[in-house]
Amino acid sequence: MNISIEKTDEEFLVVISGRVDTTNYNEFENSIVHLYNEKDATIYLDCSGLDYISSSGLRIFLTLQKKVKIQGGVLKIFAMQPQIKEIFDISGFSSIFAIFPDYSAAKEA
Amino acid sequence: MNRNRLSFKIIVRVLLFCFILGGSIFTIYYLFARKTIERESRENAIHLAESTVYKIEEIINPAEMIPGNLAWIIENNTLSRDSIYAFLRQLVRNNKSVFAAAIAFEPYLFSQERYAFAPYAYRSGDEILNRDLWSPAYNYFIMDWYQIPALLRKPYWSEPYFDEGGGGVLMTTYSVPFYTNTNNSRVFTGIITIDISLEWLTEIVNSVKIFETGYAFLISGNGVYVTHPNASHIMNQTIFTYAKEVNEPVIREIGRDMIGGESKLSNVNLKEMGNVWIYHTKIPSSKWSLGVVYPHREMYAGLRSLNIMIFLLSVMALTLLTIVTIRIINRQIRPLSRFAKAARNIAGGNFDTELPVVEENHEMKELHDSFRYMQEELANYIADLKETTSAKEKIESELRIARGIQIDMIPHIFPPFPNLPEIGLYASLESATEVGGDLYDFFPIGDDHFCFAIGDVSGKGVPASLFMAVTITLIRSMSDKNRSCSEIVQSVNKTLTINNESNMFVTLFVGILNLQTGELQYCNAGHNPPVLLNCDREPLMFRNTKAIPVGIFGEIDYCNETMILDPSDQIFLYTDGITEAEDADKNLFGEAALMKALTENRDKSPKELTDRVKQSVKEFVNGHMQSDDITMMCITYRGKNGNKIK
Repeated sequence: MNISIEKTDEEFLVVISGRVDTTNYNEFENSIVHLYNEKDATIYLDCSGLDYISSSGLRIFLTLQKKVKIQGGVLKIFAMQPQIKEIFDISGFSSIFAIFPDYSAAKEA
Repeated sequence: MNRNRLSFKIIVRVLLFCFILGGSIFTIYYLFARKTIERESRENAIHLAESTVYKIEEIINPAEMIPGNLAWIIENNTLSRDSIYAFLRQLVRNNKSVFAAAIAFEPYLFSQERYAFAPYAYRSGDEILNRDLWSPAYNYFIMDWYQIPALLRKPYWSEPYFDEGGGGVLMTTYSVPFYTNTNNSRVFTGIITIDISLEWLTEIVNSVKIFETGYAFLISGNGVYVTHPNASHIMNQTIFTYAKEVNEPVIREIGRDMIGGESKLSNVNLKEMGNVWIYHTKIPSSKWSLGVVYPHREMYAGLRSLNIMIFLLSVMALTLLTIVTIRIINRQIRPLSRFAKAARNIAGGNFDTELPVVEENHEMKELHDSFRYMQEELANYIADLKETTSAKEKIESELRIARGIQIDMIPHIFPPFPNLPEIGLYASLESATEVGGDLYDFFPIGDDHFCFAIGDVSGKGVPASLFMAVTITLIRSMSDKNRSCSEIVQSVNKTLTINNESNMFVTLFVGILNLQTGELQYCNAGHNPPVLLNCDREPLMFRNTKAIPVGIFGEIDYCNETMILDPSDQIFLYTDGITEAEDADKNLFGEAALMKALTENRDKSPKELTDRVKQSVKEFVNGHMQSDDITMMCITYRGKNGNKIK
């Protein structure tokens, strides 16, 4: 798993790649925990390199979504691989998150 | 020694070094000493010869004076003819080295009347006698001692000879011509002689002792041995005959040089004596020559005995050095073996083992301190480890108990309801860890409804298991005749959402089957869609409702779905532990494989079916560690009153 976070003004671009599972979801959460307190932030989550996500990983997505919302910000997820999208669909998470096909689509919305 | 390889090495090296050092010093010393001895011997040989010659001269010189003085007395007519015998007797008496003295006159020069006259005084025992040498039988004019100096008009030393009349002693005669002044011209008048015993000469020369076998010798002008330690050579051998006899040409060379009157030091190798110095020098008054033989072997004998002494001392010193070195080294490294022993003791678990006492010796002190540190750290570490282990054991035992409790929460007796012929059911739950987050449950509601549920809590382990326990309890308590599936899910969701700071969630599928009609009402909150199976049809996955899992947002409306089950229809429910089972290469089992396994086994009983699916997954992961809880539940609807029993 690799995470990079890039900040521009009120925007954050989080790029996550590899696998997020029970062995490393803590690491994932620790890397993004500071975003929980960002006010009115727009956070873009690039999932193009994300190969697998377990329910533990989904929980972090969910927590991030909730926290960002409380702080008045927005979380936009884009470029999910099909198998990830399927997991989101099955679990109904697709309806909770704002999911876009790519970065520009996420920007425009 | 071999045990202590370090000390052995040190000792060997020290000794080797000392040996080489000692050897070098000794060699240098030896060469130097040899050279010095050689030089000194050489000087000594020369000096010895010269001093011997001096001693000889000291005796010969005064003797030589005698004929000269006598000649003067006669030439000046100071001596009365009558007292000539008395004078000669007195002369012999006064000069101990003089054996006899004579004044031999030329014919008729002593008196007109006498043809020849040679007054002669000589020792005979203690007396001194005199007589006239001349007799018809002894015509002295033709004797060497007279004829040679008379012809040469020069003093002459005769060859040595044994004097018959003089008691067989070795003699030489010194002859000096004398003159008288007649009519203002010097006329040769005769020969004055003195006989000198050579015993003293032999004594002087033989007294020259050089070590054991070194010696001095004297040869006459013809090379005859005058003195020699081997008395049989004297007067019997010349140096040349001797050289021939012992076959030493080099001696002949030396003899030639000696007769030539040279002074020379030669280094020659003799068969009998080995290497020798031979120094020879002439005796100035005569034509004789003195030789000194200086043997090398003995010259270095002193050095050799010194060497033996030094060698013995060195052996002793090296032995002492060895003993002392061994002692020092052993004393110095003794702590090492004690440390080794201590280390073994410590390794054996004796953390309070006494460490060897070490002086303020830097290296050992460092080792000591390191050991002490290691000892303390080990003790601490082991104590920590014990504590941790016991804590871990405690947790493990608690987890085992928790697992038991969790297993007891879900029904696990199959077939569960022998008195419900409409239903065939089998379920299995395998946690990846001691306790897991998967759940399933089933129970009849009233007489003709059967409720079942399957769920998966996000994450796994203890947090998930706690959430699972809450969820399963809620499902049970919320389910009653009056609630639809969505209402049950909604109630569970609402309760779980309260105070769910950790954002745990549960994907949940709840279904209620009307046993009479086969109508299935269900609500899916984000769970993997179950599969509808019938041996007459292809397996069919339930439609995805896209509803979110429970526990996330409290105010959510979940929908009910309904379908009618035909008798012999089966519903296969599972958690993502099946579809996301991984092999070593991180490949997922996937829905396709699941569907294939189900298709192949759709005619099997619930237990057999789940077993087959489990087997397929097992084959797929091929021994790779199970990463998630795996739960399956298969329900067969047999129709009203179990009419169509499989």
